[in-house]
Amino acid sequence: MNRIAVPTRLAAMAACLVAVTVVATGVGSSALPLDRVVAALIGRGETMDEVIVWTLRLPRVALAILAGMALALAGALLQRVTRNPVAAPSILGITDGAAVGVVAFLWIFSDDANALTVSIHWQPLAAALGALVFSALVAVLALLDPQGRSPLRIILYGISLAALAKAAVTLMMILGPVYRAGQALTWLTGSIGAAHWSDVATVAAGLVLATVVLALLGRLVRQLVLDPDTAASTGVAVGRTQLVFLALAVALTALAVSQVGAVGFVGLIAPHIARFLHGQFTEGFLAATAMIGGALVLGADTLARTMAAPVELPAGALTALVGAPLFLWLLLKERRTHG
Amino acid sequence: MAEALARLRGVTARYDGVTALDLVDLDLPDGRITAFCGPNGSGKSTALRVMRRLHAPSNGTVEIAGRPLHDWSPKELAKSVAMLSQSPDAPPELTVQDLVRLGRFAHKRGFRGQQSEDRAACDRALEVTEMAHLAERPIGRLSGGQLQRAWIAMTIAQETPHILLDEPTNHLDVSHAFEVLELVKRLNRTEGRSIVLVLHDLNMAMRYADHVVLFDQGRVAVAGPTRSVLTEDHITEVFGIECRLIEIEGQDVPAVVPLPSEQAILAR
Repeated sequence: MNRIAVPTRLAAMAACLVAVTVVATGVGSSALPLDRVVAALIGRGETMDEVIVWTLRLPRVALAILAGMALALAGALLQRVTRNPVAAPSILGITDGAAVGVVAFLWIFSDDANALTVSIHWQPLAAALGALVFSALVAVLALLDPQGRSPLRIILYGISLAALAKAAVTLMMILGPVYRAGQALTWLTGSIGAAHWSDVATVAAGLVLATVVLALLGRLVRQLVLDPDTAASTGVAVGRTQLVFLALAVALTALAVSQVGAVGFVGLIAPHIARFLHGQFTEGFLAATAMIGGALVLGADTLARTMAAPVELPAGALTALVGAPLFLWLLLKERRTHG
Repeated sequence: MAEALARLRGVTARYDGVTALDLVDLDLPDGRITAFCGPNGSGKSTALRVMRRLHAPSNGTVEIAGRPLHDWSPKELAKSVAMLSQSPDAPPELTVQDLVRLGRFAHKRGFRGQQSEDRAACDRALEVTEMAHLAERPIGRLSGGQLQRAWIAMTIAQETPHILLDEPTNHLDVSHAFEVLELVKRLNRTEGRSIVLVLHDLNMAMRYADHVVLFDQGRVAVAGPTRSVLTEDHITEVFGIECRLIEIEGQDVPAVVPLPSEQAILAR
């Protein structure tokens, strides 16, 4: 794999992603053969096909890809900032923090008739706030602890706060309005469901912003493989850099999970697959990670809506099915190397 | 003495309330090899960290090359002073070449990738450390001596006039330690870089340092040219052991022979 030039490798990944996209757009309750999908995509299909593709399938497919990209980038950034290969949005309590935000939002702003008193469009903001509060808590605990800089401590704080957040979510779901509990549950397992182009635009805008930031600061991401003292000696303002990337990871996670729910483990496994296929110190590592994350969530969502049709499985359950064993494997491997 | 590499005035530094440096005044000469010596916990490493702005002193002022430390931007400082800390760490999968390239961070600007001057600096660093043939090897698969040289190569690739090394001979056997110190000497004599290093081995300090600072309990006990600092009296006073300096025929520096203190012998 390493013999192939970097641009070729990235192009091959992009081609795979496009292929998965075309297939995913085709399959579903009224399956379209590939030629009709392509015809509809380039605007030469029949009217009915174009409606299915452009209104029903494509927003969902695009949202899955973009959310997967955001989660994967967040994971890669977290792994670099904490210098820990098992760091991920769902492990550091960020995803569960977002869940607290969403459930609290659904509870607080429901009236007696179970209707929301404010626009549902505020839900992403609630998710972002929840994510921010819980990651700030992890950060504060880590800063107060003299050994808090150690990656293992950060993970432990993250896991503890994630458990706390889960408990809060469960309590609110039991005590809150019943109808909203169903809606919250769908969100919690991570399900893309009915997507609109406006949701796609939101995530896309966020990703564009993140890409600009990462293009400007990309070299800093690589520099953070060094321990903090050494990184500082090479000219990195370590504290500030860590803060910026942590904030970016939190924002990306909040952006993704507010739209597609708590799809777990993508942020954990996508960087590792990219590391395996592309190399973590090679130019374009973040691009590769993003594409793999997109393909993962798209694949999971496509399987989720076709495997047991007409029943829709939550995409998050599928990513967790792959991700959880991998997480355990990484933990065991870490223990071996750091004995 | 040329312009000072570093000037510390009334510097106090603490870790979690424990005082590591206590009102230290210190002038370090430019263009020399300076060794920081002293017992464990006497403040050597802290002084180095304070000078490289890795630890903020709670009191006092620090100047680097005549300019207050807080005046330097992170990148400017990294182009003037490189530092290898005591236990640097990077993922074991990183290759020597990629590690050395990380030393070029401060020299890069904007979107440009690796420039020819970066490549030249890395190649030179690999060459002087005799690591060129191991450039492609992951650092997790190097021996202790090779690993230390890889880190020094990264520090050299930074192309700074000043280099701080915190116990660069730690964990190295005698021959590897000599190799590293010969390299330090070359960097100083042929390239004119000033080097400050923490050394535990007084014989190595005697042989390689031009200037020695003896630390004792967070204070500078004595500082100056090597032969005037590393005397039997000073060593006895700071380390609390007896010590003899023995001239050896054909060697230009005496051997430092530490002896157990009389009190220690009496206590037995």
